[in-house]
Amino acid sequence: MAKYARIFVQHYLWTFLAVTIVTVVGKILTPFFNLTNIVLLYLLPVLISAVRWGRGPSFFAAFLGVLAFDFLFVPPVFSFTVNETRDLFVFAVYLIVALVTGTMATKLRNELEKTRQREERTHALYALSQEIAAKTDLPQVLETLVKTVSETIRAHVSILVSDPEDDIVRQAASYPPQHSSPDGKEQAVAHWVLEHGLSAGKGTEILREASELIFPVKTEDKTLAVLTIKMNNEEETVSLEQRQLIEAFANLAAMAIIRMRLAKEAEQAKWLAESEKLHRALLNSVSHDMRTPLAAITGAVTSLISEKGVYNEANKDILLHTIKEEAHRMNRFIANLLDMVRLESGILKPKTEWCDIQDIIGVVLRETKETLQKHAVRVNIPRELPLVKADFILIEQVLINLLENAVKYSPRDSEISISAYYHDNKLLVTVADPGPAIPLIERYRVFDKFYRLHSSKHISGTGLGLSICKGIIEAHGGQIWVDSSPEYGNRFTFSLPVAESPSEEPDIKEGEGNATRRCTHTRYR
Amino acid sequence: MPPEGARILVIDDEKQILRMLKVALEGNGYDVAEAASGHDGLNQTAVFHPDLIILDLGLPDMDGVEVIKRLREWTRTPIIILSVREHEDDKIDALDAGADDYVTKPFSMGELLARLRVALRHVAKTDDEPVLTFGELTMDLARRNVILQGQEIKLTPTEYEILKYLALQAGRVVTHRQLLRAIWGPNYQEQTHYLRIYIGQLRHKIETDPSQPTYIITEPGVGYRLVTRD
Repeated sequence: MAKYARIFVQHYLWTFLAVTIVTVVGKILTPFFNLTNIVLLYLLPVLISAVRWGRGPSFFAAFLGVLAFDFLFVPPVFSFTVNETRDLFVFAVYLIVALVTGTMATKLRNELEKTRQREERTHALYALSQEIAAKTDLPQVLETLVKTVSETIRAHVSILVSDPEDDIVRQAASYPPQHSSPDGKEQAVAHWVLEHGLSAGKGTEILREASELIFPVKTEDKTLAVLTIKMNNEEETVSLEQRQLIEAFANLAAMAIIRMRLAKEAEQAKWLAESEKLHRALLNSVSHDMRTPLAAITGAVTSLISEKGVYNEANKDILLHTIKEEAHRMNRFIANLLDMVRLESGILKPKTEWCDIQDIIGVVLRETKETLQKHAVRVNIPRELPLVKADFILIEQVLINLLENAVKYSPRDSEISISAYYHDNKLLVTVADPGPAIPLIERYRVFDKFYRLHSSKHISGTGLGLSICKGIIEAHGGQIWVDSSPEYGNRFTFSLPVAESPSEEPDIKEGEGNATRRCTHTRYR
Repeated sequence: MPPEGARILVIDDEKQILRMLKVALEGNGYDVAEAASGHDGLNQTAVFHPDLIILDLGLPDMDGVEVIKRLREWTRTPIIILSVREHEDDKIDALDAGADDYVTKPFSMGELLARLRVALRHVAKTDDEPVLTFGELTMDLARRNVILQGQEIKLTPTEYEILKYLALQAGRVVTHRQLLRAIWGPNYQEQTHYLRIYIGQLRHKIETDPSQPTYIITEPGVGYRLVTRD
């Protein structure tokens, strides 16, 4: 308060000084002007003090001016006595003019000041809204809010949010950054503000003895958090205008918080809907794709058990092979299902090691020998392909799925080809089949979970295979796609990044230069 | 037919598998004992004196790898493990701990019987035969030469060592680590890319179609196997 009083006194002293200067100037000019001219000079300090210091000092200047003029200029000099009524009239006119000018100038000044403040506020609000809009998570929004409030009103500001689990409030952000947990009293005030949505503490009607102002951050129906504001200058209270400004800031932040909550809820709802869809599809798939082979197995086995010489050797053989094939199908399905679940839950992490794609293709051809029986397979792998960092077993899985699809969707005895090539730091592997081309609009969707081509609903399948391929390849940092045309059928291609080459060969004396040569080739990029 | 009455101990906690294996193995002329847990298996080994042990890695009371380690403290009886696709690491640990081979569930009986024969033959074999023959591939260890379809083929020293190591273990799986240790020494047992490169080269020299190898086949995630033709 002392500071304000000092500033207040200073304004009057300046006014006094201005009047004194005018008086001195007037005295110098007296020989050349008449008194009515000199009195005009006294309007100057009135105007100046009105514009600079407000109404009080301007009135002070007006009265001081009258007194000085009367005492020092109006005859008899050095006396307040006035001889002529004409001079009284001059005083009266001067006073009226001075007071009116002072009042108007003060008003003008206040208007200007208000406009400036409004502009500042609008600017600050705009800046805050811009900043908040750019933030994507709650802690960032809260930090921006406390920082802006703190800088605008020059105070230590922190934001407290209620912890739903503990029924206490915790400090979520503070500016200047300072970690402290609210004590019992602060907790109580914060709770009160959270509950009532009104501000409390210093400068308010409630708990005015507190050292800070506690301010609600609220939407229409709910208080989300509280701001505690402690002015840098302890004697200062938060002015009404500042409170309005803080409220505007708080409203902005509240909207941002609500917006984030809604977005999160929407995302969760979407996720729930998706996972429900997935579960339903999974259940359908399990019940259908597990039962079909199981039914075939059960049928074949019960036939064999109850047979009383009705089957010849050839028929028995068919039944036994059915059992074998269907059991194999079930095993493949379970493997895919497990991979799917692992991909979905994020626990499928490729165990990468250096792999020779020819090696993987060799294993795949061995594994799918029976599946490929009724097709011709052409393999085209150039001799010098670089090694690639990949999970052998997962890539094997991808190729098996692609080959099984190729067999399933292409005519008997047609040719399926597998080729590998290196291009632009990528290893590319293509599995091509001459089956009916996948329509353009379905080419992306074939990699979706449980998606089946409209034209192939009659062919049994789970819609899992390709989505697993996609998941595995993407986990390797590669891509998978299909291009199709009625001319050549479908070409499924996946790429694997060849980013680095394996470490150097151990130094072994080799009879030929062969090994070293091959190694050099594996290193090319 | 297997050696007359070879004795096989099956350690598996799943009754269906036990029953199926017993029927199939006895049908093939083996003498079978069963154990439903790791501890039971260890005891039975001491009492039954099996010629070969079939061990499921997923036992209720003990880690399968632990069972292998305990067995290897006192017996060289061949062990064939049963594992599932999802547990590659267990399989490798088991092989490195001293198991002789593995089959992945679900397996075909033909596959299991082939592994049994190979493992039993390895025990029976005592003297070092200097000449090993696999179909059209012949290795003369004394003269260090390799003949394919009557033609001598040139191998680099490393290629030869790899082929020899696989040939001496013919029919059995050899893990990456075992092979790396044997050829390059213990400091190189994680450098699987050496193997990829040399096996690739070897295949180009001995296989008709390196993409569909018939001699050296890859056991995904585990190692390699030189195929025997019996």
